[in-house]
Amino acid sequence: MTQRNLLTLLIIAAVTVLSIMLVLPTVGMNEMVVVLNDDANANQIEQLKKRFPSSKYKVSVDEKTLYIEGLGLNNAVLNEVLKKDEYPFVKEAKISAHWAESALLAKRINLGLDLQGGSMLVLQADYDRMEKKMGRKLNEKDKNDITSQALDLIRNRIDAFGVSEPQIRTRGADQIELQLPGVRDPKAIKDLLGMTGTVEYRLGDHELTAKAKEAMTTLKILPPTDMAQADAAIVKISEEIKCPADKEVLFYYERDKTTNKIYPSFPIVLEKAIALAGSDIASAAPGNDDYGRLAVSFTTTAEGAQKFAEATAPKNKGRPLAIVIDNKVRSAPTINGQINAGKAVIEGSFSDDEVNILVRIIKEGALPVDLSIVEERTVGPSLGQDSINAGIKAGAVALIAISLFMIVYYKISGLIAIVGLVLNAIYALAMLSWLGFTLTLPGIAGFVLTLGVAIDANVIIYERIREEIRNGRNVRTAISMGFEHAFWTIFDSNLTTVLAALILTLVGTGAIKGYAVTLTIGIIANMFVALYVTKFVYEMIASRREIKKLSI
Amino acid sequence: MLISFISIAHMRGGINWGIDFVGGVKVVAEFEKSVTIHEIRKTLDDSGIPNSVQQVTTGDKNEFSVTGKLLKKDTTGAKTFDAIKGSLDGKFKNVQIHSNESVGPSIGNYIKNTAWKMILLCILMMTIYLAFRFEFRFSVGAMVALVHDVILSIALAGAFQVEFDIPVLAAILTIFGYSVNDTIVIFDRIRERMAAGTTLPFGELINSSINQTLSRTVITVFCTLLSVIALFFLGGEVLHGFSLVLIFGFILGAYSSIFIASPVVLWWENFIKKEEPKKA
Repeated sequence: MTQRNLLTLLIIAAVTVLSIMLVLPTVGMNEMVVVLNDDANANQIEQLKKRFPSSKYKVSVDEKTLYIEGLGLNNAVLNEVLKKDEYPFVKEAKISAHWAESALLAKRINLGLDLQGGSMLVLQADYDRMEKKMGRKLNEKDKNDITSQALDLIRNRIDAFGVSEPQIRTRGADQIELQLPGVRDPKAIKDLLGMTGTVEYRLGDHELTAKAKEAMTTLKILPPTDMAQADAAIVKISEEIKCPADKEVLFYYERDKTTNKIYPSFPIVLEKAIALAGSDIASAAPGNDDYGRLAVSFTTTAEGAQKFAEATAPKNKGRPLAIVIDNKVRSAPTINGQINAGKAVIEGSFSDDEVNILVRIIKEGALPVDLSIVEERTVGPSLGQDSINAGIKAGAVALIAISLFMIVYYKISGLIAIVGLVLNAIYALAMLSWLGFTLTLPGIAGFVLTLGVAIDANVIIYERIREEIRNGRNVRTAISMGFEHAFWTIFDSNLTTVLAALILTLVGTGAIKGYAVTLTIGIIANMFVALYVTKFVYEMIASRREIKKLSI
Repeated sequence: MLISFISIAHMRGGINWGIDFVGGVKVVAEFEKSVTIHEIRKTLDDSGIPNSVQQVTTGDKNEFSVTGKLLKKDTTGAKTFDAIKGSLDGKFKNVQIHSNESVGPSIGNYIKNTAWKMILLCILMMTIYLAFRFEFRFSVGAMVALVHDVILSIALAGAFQVEFDIPVLAAILTIFGYSVNDTIVIFDRIRERMAAGTTLPFGELINSSINQTLSRTVITVFCTLLSVIALFFLGGEVLHGFSLVLIFGFILGAYSSIFIASPVVLWWENFIKKEEPKKA
């Protein structure tokens, strides 16, 4: 073996071993550490152990900590264990880092939501409405800034929820995409996100309110069923009562006892000026109002206390001080006396959930722009598992079919090609691990597709070698000519597929990006295998002087 | 052939746009064993929800995929989903929802725009790359074959009423890249022989090059088809449309490379030659 050949062999061996190590965090064994509450009892420990039967996992217990080892311990399982309503005695849990992760920067390949189960939500920022309110157009930069602000606030809200490894990012200038693994029913989160959270106290006007109520009946306006209708109704009523510039018409919302939803009940006229804002509130907590109903009790900042005292001063006695949440008036108690202490209660026929959400939102601040959910995709874990199985089955069958054909048609050379294919797969997986990739179902499809495309390179080379042999060249020359001529062909044809895939990566959304990335990396790995590794094998074969016939 | 397929696609109602493009709600739900597809359709019809239902049973679970058009004034898909769930829960016991996709109308527009951008970018890049690696006349031939493949694949998708969703779009874009593959192999051979100095007239050169590369073309398409057919039968319902479109695309890619790309190059060559004497 020449020195050059030895070097090549070493390089190939090194790359292969490295790749296998990079892939280990994903396909190898993982360890999950679960820490229980101090007061967890033996029964509860048994309950948790049942989730991890000894046929698949190895569980060892040390005081209040469980160490679970096995295959397939991913984020979905983590989120399952952290579910407060199923395992309330679990304090915390995490998946230990694999040694390869710290040594080689390998990362576990994540499963996309369509494979591990979870919810994906896309929120749309309502800049149209904001522009109308502000009376001017917003440029791209403004929109980007506001959307980023909203993103940070949303992230805080979701963090408090305890979802493990949520992925929250912007999509374009005015959309936010959330990926929540393991969340099967996003209703609670949707409620949380639906509240913009603007909280304002505003003084009201009895006379104009009475006129507005009249106007609604005279104009025969029906109670609005959505924001657009509400806006339209408000415009009509404002005109009718000749609402002055410093005041505006809003709707008072009440809660329907049967559906438990709030609905607009009657119009009310308030000053545009904000007497007390959410930012003036220092702290908030769930509490009760004077009648024992659920409410939010809060204390103001020093400045806020002053503002509140002014608003409730004797000159305003008898006027309503309305509480406006997200542009909906929730209550409008009449001012009876001045409040100096900077402490009060926000009341307004709230439900349990609402109070909790409100408290959290006041603490963190209101969203800078209204958001609504325009896309929602939820996949349950069983469907996810089915998809994985289907993908693996398809891949296995494709591999077997292609292998059979190659071996029958090209004999031993076919076998060499198949070994190359397997190496191809390992290298591609290694690269994906290194990138910290998220695998989706289209991603699996991309992988299976790569199998077929990868074999193309070998076919081009082999057909060329066969042709050269047919033309009478000896084996050694045939081999080298085969590879030489084939090089540019393989390069060009693979490059066009990669170009198409690259465009998909740049412009595509989540799942499609995954597909494009698997395809691209699969092809790049393939070029390496076909043009470097296989070539090396053939050079080794060709260097044996007795070679007269080639099994091809 | 192009015209015939496009007309079939039209007769079947045009492209079957998936909810990713027009908005809607798609739910995969498991029902008790006795429930039939007709009962589900009827229940939804009675509730006034325009729908299409398909059986997607895996193993012994009685699963159906229910697609509902967005109800009027539903900007987020939530109302439609509630309506569908309410209607099904009302009639059937024990309905388990395994997956839910609710897409509002605005998303569809966003995706359509993105799709167009991608397609145009692809065409542009291919043309530039081909003109760069081969001569312009080859680029023309390849592009004609490419456009032919893509249009025909889309038409076939319409004719078979394949649901056109995001994975199918990805399939179309893959065909872009792949269709040029086969064409390049043939052109590469032509170029190689031209460089080696050949006395053959252009037409015969093309012909013989195609013959020489024929075995490779056929085998490669065969192997790739093995992959995609495996995906089609075993890859699950989500990838069905995707795999079917790819099957069309790959077969067409080979066909067009052999029967369209090269003849077009020849035709273009002759066309140019006729033009030049006129200029002179």
